[in-house]
This record gives sequence, structure tokens and C-alpha cells, in this order.
Amino acid sequence: MSSNPDRSGLSASELALQLREFLAEHHPGRTPRSTSPLAAAERLVFQKAWQATLAEHGWAAPGWPRRWGGMGLPLRLQAVHHRELAVARTPVAPSRIGGIVGPALLGYGTAPQLERFMGPLIRADELWCQGFSEPDAGSDLASLRTRAVPDGSDYRLTGRKVWTSGAHFADWMLCLARTGPAGSGAAGITALVVDMHAPGVTARPLRDMTGGAHFAEVELDDVVVPATDRIGAENTGWAVARATLGHERSTSLASSGMRYRRVTGDLLELARRRGRTVDAYDRDALARAVTGARLLEWSGQRVLARVLEGGEPGPLASVIRLQHALFEQGLHELATDLLGAQGALAPADEHLTAGGKHDGAWLRGFLRTRASTIGAGTAEIQRNTIADRVLGLAEVWR
Amino acid sequence: MSAVSEVDERSPMFVFTDEQDALRATVRRFLAERSPETEVRRLMETETGYDPAVWNLMAGQIGLQGLALPEKFGGSGFGFVDLQIVLEEMGRALLCAPFLSSVVLAANAVLRSGDEAACAQYLPGIAAGSTVAALAVTEAAGSWRAADLTMGATAADGGYVLSGEKLFVPDGHVADLLFVVARTAVGPSLFAVDPATAGVLREPLATLDATRKQSRLVFDGARARLIGEEGGAAQPLSDTLDLAAAGLAAEQAGGARRVLEMAVEYAKVREQFGRPIGSFQAIKHKCADMLLAVESATSAAYAVGWAVDEGSDEVGVLASLAKAFCSEAYTHCTAENIQIHGGIGFTWEHPAHLYFKRAKSTEILFGNPRHHRALLADRLGI
Repeated sequence: MSSNPDRSGLSASELALQLREFLAEHHPGRTPRSTSPLAAAERLVFQKAWQATLAEHGWAAPGWPRRWGGMGLPLRLQAVHHRELAVARTPVAPSRIGGIVGPALLGYGTAPQLERFMGPLIRADELWCQGFSEPDAGSDLASLRTRAVPDGSDYRLTGRKVWTSGAHFADWMLCLARTGPAGSGAAGITALVVDMHAPGVTARPLRDMTGGAHFAEVELDDVVVPATDRIGAENTGWAVARATLGHERSTSLASSGMRYRRVTGDLLELARRRGRTVDAYDRDALARAVTGARLLEWSGQRVLARVLEGGEPGPLASVIRLQHALFEQGLHELATDLLGAQGALAPADEHLTAGGKHDGAWLRGFLRTRASTIGAGTAEIQRNTIADRVLGLAEVWR
Repeated sequence: MSAVSEVDERSPMFVFTDEQDALRATVRRFLAERSPETEVRRLMETETGYDPAVWNLMAGQIGLQGLALPEKFGGSGFGFVDLQIVLEEMGRALLCAPFLSSVVLAANAVLRSGDEAACAQYLPGIAAGSTVAALAVTEAAGSWRAADLTMGATAADGGYVLSGEKLFVPDGHVADLLFVVARTAVGPSLFAVDPATAGVLREPLATLDATRKQSRLVFDGARARLIGEEGGAAQPLSDTLDLAAAGLAAEQAGGARRVLEMAVEYAKVREQFGRPIGSFQAIKHKCADMLLAVESATSAAYAVGWAVDEGSDEVGVLASLAKAFCSEAYTHCTAENIQIHGGIGFTWEHPAHLYFKRAKSTEILFGNPRHHRALLADRLGI
């Protein structure tokens, strides 16, 4: 694992050049797209293969320690890495490689746990999901009810998880469960690694309004979890779940700007193709879309600049998620409008094929981005967080 | 490969230097002392609308008027972002002074004309604060585009004479020196006019925003001096307006941040139904959305500022973008501030309406958001 080349001492342009050379040789092309379950599996195979290629050549997990298979790059070079991959339109990593699991393991995992899990995680040999949400507890984790009861050197786990992205394909779940008494709130939660192939675990794909099945619900019926698979101490699961490494995350904002520019470029292309750049109202809407994309780009750069200067990501970081969600939704609503009567067709209808891009992608995005203001905390929760933590309104009332 | 060197350079974008932080602190302290709400209210009731003593301190003590003007014309040669920092602070404090009109509009109109002799003659006075200059563009139609102007200039006795009316001229009635865009047979041209000369009538207009005065100027055969090329004013005017829009965007971002602070402070202390109103989700969400608007406005304003300092060819695109966005963000925040203050926010005694009026009038100044989005679309080739 430590045979990774050390690139942490490179200059930004050296790193960019090396990465471009690697991509010129290994870029696998566009990820297959479709909502059918068959194509979803095919897509996953494609993404896993790409992630393995990245890892094999030492280009995976830019911010994670080299000792555990990452690149160990300083923040500034991490940003370059993210940006280059975005510019090159490489496939995204399957099932949350860079999500909460890695930082949680790196922050709280034991040496044997890191030894066991990090390599396969970075190579995407094994896929992970995050078992946080429950039917009666979305962002309100303090009220989660899945129970983990100590039993010798094991825990016995019973409960239900829902909205679990990729659970039906996952090998492992980072699961939050209640170990404290009912009503112990956030203080009685423990983080466990659950083997998704263990007896008592059932993951059922949850078909969403796009027609696809991105999420699953997971039944946990007296599942045996060895105590050695606990991440962190008992009843500290809340802290483990929140180990999101804000600094590392802010470096990936550098790539967002590229993505937004590209997507608005595609939108302008759609408008031209549909003859919708003449009317003053349409032009106003397009100018607004461009504005939204630029604003996100700049906000991302401001956070990144602050982090590179050695500061905290600051208030802007929490604002960006809300900004992003609202932008994405607005952009796809506009795209649907630009499609005119064809906006009433199903995303898969072949009459939507036009130009280099299948116009159905806009309609799928129109449906998909309904989740932008819901997933990972609703827009309302995000506004509460901004008001409470950034503007200090939490102090006034408890 | 230019794209590679791009990533290698440590871009200064979106990071303020220690000097810039110090400049901001100095200006904020000065304005807290010299432009408190009581002074704003006193000056907005006057016809001139500013305090010459404060104006002179601004120039003499901290050199604000000359800050971003070239050293060879009596300035200090600082960048546009530095000027924006000053404007952002002035927006926060609602400073009553002809700074935007003299330092941003008039000075840049002369600079952009490329007329070295005129620059050498007029800019040192503007930089020193001893000359207050104004730029007269708009007429009854309110357009800032050279193509829409009708006022005429005719050659006479080796010079020119102007006849016609200019409206909505920022601080035109108090300026020591007028720059006027008028049309000759060749096309739109820039002229300097001494307001004391015969054939110039000036009167203040009653404005929505009393903290920034506007005037009506009538020229009746007034003698004028041509600046730059005859018929060549369209592009310099357009460039000047881009800078003015970028400067105004910073002023708007500053005002928006101030009203957000005001709203949050109030939401923490004002109680209804036994709890601070800031504990109600409806109020929290308003405040969160205001912060989103404020941070975005700040990003937009300085993105164009840095583009100006880098000599980027995107200045026009970004200026229109920033002017449209910051205008709406500022107006939104000032309206929400009134709403969060409830009844008290609607009173004359509370400063909320001063910011609301400033926001609305800056939204209109230099062209409204819809106009600038149309310009943005044009400039992007949409």
C-alpha cells in the first residue's frame, strides 16, 4: 500500500502535468447513463474499475495519508487534483469513497480497522453506505431508534434504516445505533461497521421519483456485529458521524466551479438549439443561470482561499450547500422550460435525443434535483444551521 | 501551456492582503466617527448633501479621493479592489459625499478618454479633494448609453458650446467641475464645463434617497472644452460605467451586510410571545437567506474588482453580472430588515428606511438589474 509515489512535494504545475499525462493514457470515457437497474450495475462496475485504476497509479484519495493508500497531498495540491479531474470529466467515485466513512475511520479507527478497511475503500474493491437516516429520524439523529445491545464480545443490532444511498450494492455500512437508554438523545449513539452480507441484513432498493433506485431501505434483524467493529468509544457515534474534515472537503470546492461552468455551458447550448435566445425573458433567465454558476464558483474559491491561508472554512462553507441546492433546482427548472412542449415527455423518450447531449438528462435532472433541498439535511435544516451557528441565533433560546 | 501556469500561480483572488485589511479598518473607524447616523440625517436634509470639512479630512488624513488614481496624476496608484474596500465601507455607513460621482465616475471618464493633457489638468484636483467633479450623462429618458443621448454640442470660436438638458446627474449641483457627454456631428463626445460659466443652470432634484443627491442641469450655449477625440466618447463612457457599476456593487454589498447585522442584532433582543423573535424559524430562515445574498454579493463585487486589477477582458461581463446581482441582493436585504423590525422598521426614526431607499435608488442608478442582465447576455454572446 505504501508503494504509492510521494507527490506531496511537487509544484502545482508539476502535479497537474503528471495528472494530465496519466489521464491522457487512462481516462475511461463517459460513465454509462441510464436509470434501468441493469445499467446501474454496469455503471457501478465501470466506476469501480476507474477507482481501482486511480488507486493503482497512486492518484486516489488526495488528502488521505499515504500510509493508508492515499496521496497525502497538502491542501493546495488537493485542490489542483480535484480541479484537474473535474476539467477532464472523469467518472465520479462509486458509493461515497470520499464521504464520511473515510474521515470517520481515519479520525477514530483502530490500527487493525484501518489496516482492514482503508485499502479496499480507496480502491473501491468494497463499497460502503452510511446508515444514518431512519424512517422517523432524518436529520434528527438524536431520535434514532435502531438499537445495538452488547452481548459478550458482540453487539446485536435491530432496527431500520432508510434513504441509505447505494445500500443494495454495499459491502459495509457505517451505522449509527442507539446504545444508551431511550431518550439519551445524541449522547447515546454508537458508530458500528456492519457487514451488509451478514445474516439479518436485508437491503431493498427504494425506487424514487426519477424511476431509478439510488437509495435503499435496510432491515437490521438481530444482526451480530463484533465489538471490534465499533468505531470510536461507545456512545460517541455522534462525533464520529460528524468527522467530516471541513478543510479537506473545501478543497473539492475548487472542482465545483468547473462543473458549474460546464453545466451552464450545456444549458446555453440547449437554449441555442431550441431557438430560445431571442426573447428578452429567456435571455434574462439565462443571464440569471450564468450568474448563479459564477457565484458558486467564487464562493468556493473564497472558502478555498481562506483554507489555503491556514484559516477555517468560515461561514461561507455552510452557505454554499444551500446555495448549491437552490442553484441546481433552478437550473433544471429553466432547462425544462427551454425544452418547451418536449418538457412534458418522460426522460427516456427518444424524441428528446438532440445534439451531443440527450435532452432527457435535463428532465432526469429536473426530477433528481427535487432531492437537492431534501437530502443530507433539508434546505430548512440548513437555514436553521446557518442562522444558529453562523449568525449566532442559537444563543437566544434553548 | 498557459493553463498549467495558471494553476501554479498563487492567485490573489478572494484573499485580502494585510494592507487591505488595515485600509478597511482605518476607513471604518473614520466613518464611525465622522459619518454616524446623526450626521447622515443632518446632511440628507441639506441641499448640498455633504460636509466639506469631512470631505477634506478624507482627502487630507487618509487620501481616499486619490487612493486609486495614478501617481502621475496626483493619486496614490492603489488598485481597484482597494477602492472597492473604501466604497464597501462607505455603503455600510451610508456616507453622504460626492465620492462616487467625483472619484469613480468623473475621474474615470477623464482617465478613460486617453486625453493626457486633460488628465494632467483635472485629475490632481480630484485626487486632492480640492475639486469635486461630476459626470453628466443621462437625459429625460434616463439611459446611460451614449447611443441614446440627444443633447447637442456645436463647434464655435475654436471651442464648443452645449445646449440641452441633463437629468439625474449625481451631485451635479455641487460639483466644481462638470464633465458632460454630448453629441456633435461626429458622434457622442466628452466635454468639460466650468459650472460658473454663462449658460449653465443647476438645480437639485427631490430624490428618493436623500443621502445621495441628483440634479438637473440645463445648458444654454454654455462654453465647453472637448476631452479626448470628438465623437469618441462611447467606448470610454461604457468602460467608465463598468467601473462605476463595479464600485457601486461593492457599496451595495457593504450596505447589505450592515442591514443583515442590524436584523440579526434586533432578532436576538426583541421578544414576542415570551421569546426572542430570532428563535422563530420564520425569522431564522429570513436571516439565513440574507446571509446567502450578502456573501454572494460580496463575491460578485470583488470578482469584478480583481478582474479590473488583473486587466482581464471579462470586466464588462462581470460588471454587468455584479451590478444586477448586488442591486437585487441589497434591495432584498433592506426590505427583509424592515420586515424583521416590524412596526419600528417602518418609522422615520429607524435607519432601516435609509438603507432601503439607498438600495432602491442604487438599483436604478446606471441601469436596473434587467438592463444589466440583458447587457450580460449580449456580452456573453447568448
